[in-house]
Amino acid sequence: MADQVKYPGRLIAVDGSRGKDVNAAAGAIAAALTRGGVACAVSRWDASGLFTELTAARRGDRHLSIRTLSLIYAADLAFRLRWEVRPVLESGGVVIAAPYVETVVAFGASSGLDEDWLRQLLRFAPRADLRGLALERKIDRPWKQRTDRGYAEYCATMLAASSPKGLSKKHRRAMVAALDRTRGRKIFDLTDKGVAGLARACRAVAETRRRAPTDSLEGGSRRSASRPRTGRR
Amino acid sequence: MTIYMARRLASKRRLRRLIAEREESRGLLIAFEGPDGSGKTTQRKLLTRWLESRNHDVVSTRWASSAMVKPLLKVRKKIRSLSIEEYSLLHAVDFRHRVETSILPALWSGKTVLADRYLFTGLARDAARGLDLDWLLHAYSPILWPDLVVYFSMTPEDSRRRIASTRAPHFYEAGQDVTGIDDPLASYGRFIDRVVKEYDNLSVVFEFVSVDAGDAVYRQHTRVRELVERAGKRPWPAFSEEAVEEWLTKSNIPGA
Repeated sequence: MADQVKYPGRLIAVDGSRGKDVNAAAGAIAAALTRGGVACAVSRWDASGLFTELTAARRGDRHLSIRTLSLIYAADLAFRLRWEVRPVLESGGVVIAAPYVETVVAFGASSGLDEDWLRQLLRFAPRADLRGLALERKIDRPWKQRTDRGYAEYCATMLAASSPKGLSKKHRRAMVAALDRTRGRKIFDLTDKGVAGLARACRAVAETRRRAPTDSLEGGSRRSASRPRTGRR
Repeated sequence: MTIYMARRLASKRRLRRLIAEREESRGLLIAFEGPDGSGKTTQRKLLTRWLESRNHDVVSTRWASSAMVKPLLKVRKKIRSLSIEEYSLLHAVDFRHRVETSILPALWSGKTVLADRYLFTGLARDAARGLDLDWLLHAYSPILWPDLVVYFSMTPEDSRRRIASTRAPHFYEAGQDVTGIDDPLASYGRFIDRVVKEYDNLSVVFEFVSVDAGDAVYRQHTRVRELVERAGKRPWPAFSEEAVEEWLTKSNIPGA
């Protein structure tokens, strides 16, 4: 079930707690890559239209739980992988998935779902080659109740309508903290500097993959296996 | 221990007590499973009438019928745009939504719930499509265990024959998305073979009670009545605590 295929293309995952920031960061990375001569595709939330149709279809029935929303996200992600992500990866291109797995894991975990359940549910998604975190600026406010901004805002709207125990700023802080916990050496904070760094790293990965067979043929020096494959300078 | 953790623990304990106290007065959950054409719906309707004649409040729920998900599923099935994972996940969404909005509230208020297909349908069909059973169980968890699973057993050939005599199976029902066979009936014949095998495996793990779907309708009904009369409850605290607890946390039940 887990996707362990090694694709020739590169997958960049952009996650964050605010849809607007995630979209802006994805746009900035795409622009930086294009400037550097690397064409890329962007796969955004709700490409399948499930969430939008749900808003339109939900008339008298007001109940939606966070588990149901996570399952719908998984269905949407399966759609995005099939139509937007895997075709680009298979053809050797670059695709930016914004948001990807960490957004739903962090959101679900901050709302009381088991993190392991979420990770197991989304295990069909291929691992991202590079990851970026869209930085949260308005942590001390609850999410805006908008169904068109992003996953977290959508859930906040739906959960507020379903039950009086809606989502507060406490949930938002918990989600940001959950996202922060995933920070590692290969994750870029998507500030202006981080976006440039991520684009550079992406180009470096592309260059390495392009040159690797030639190097071996020409007997040129190859990077040692122990050296971390990261774009960080 | 922090105050937050202590509060959470206290709230968990309160919910568990509430679930244990409700065990006696809660309703019975009976699931009807079996291949297409095995007579589940007929038996469910007969049982409903019989239970109602004995002053039981009965709620019936059917597969892929939640008001919220049904339109999304219907349109996608019609245009045949679903991948195996999407098909499976959308059915899991439908199931979860029905558990939270109709099955659990009805059971909590003491009504008997008859499920015309339960999560085992999703498990059998999706496993027959090639998905990993472990992942499927994850998608459907936390599981609300039915108190009784009545399995209407029949051979794949009989199922195919019965379906052929009434209608042509739909694209996904016939498994045409995985078999790649153009003829719906030929595809159904191959697909139902795998589904029945998966059902047979599940029947061992989840302790289905079999009823021979080839028997006369009244005989099956008599057998179902006997089974229901004898059925005991699978205690929520031991089997379904997580599912009920999660629902209670988000519900407006007094005391939760």
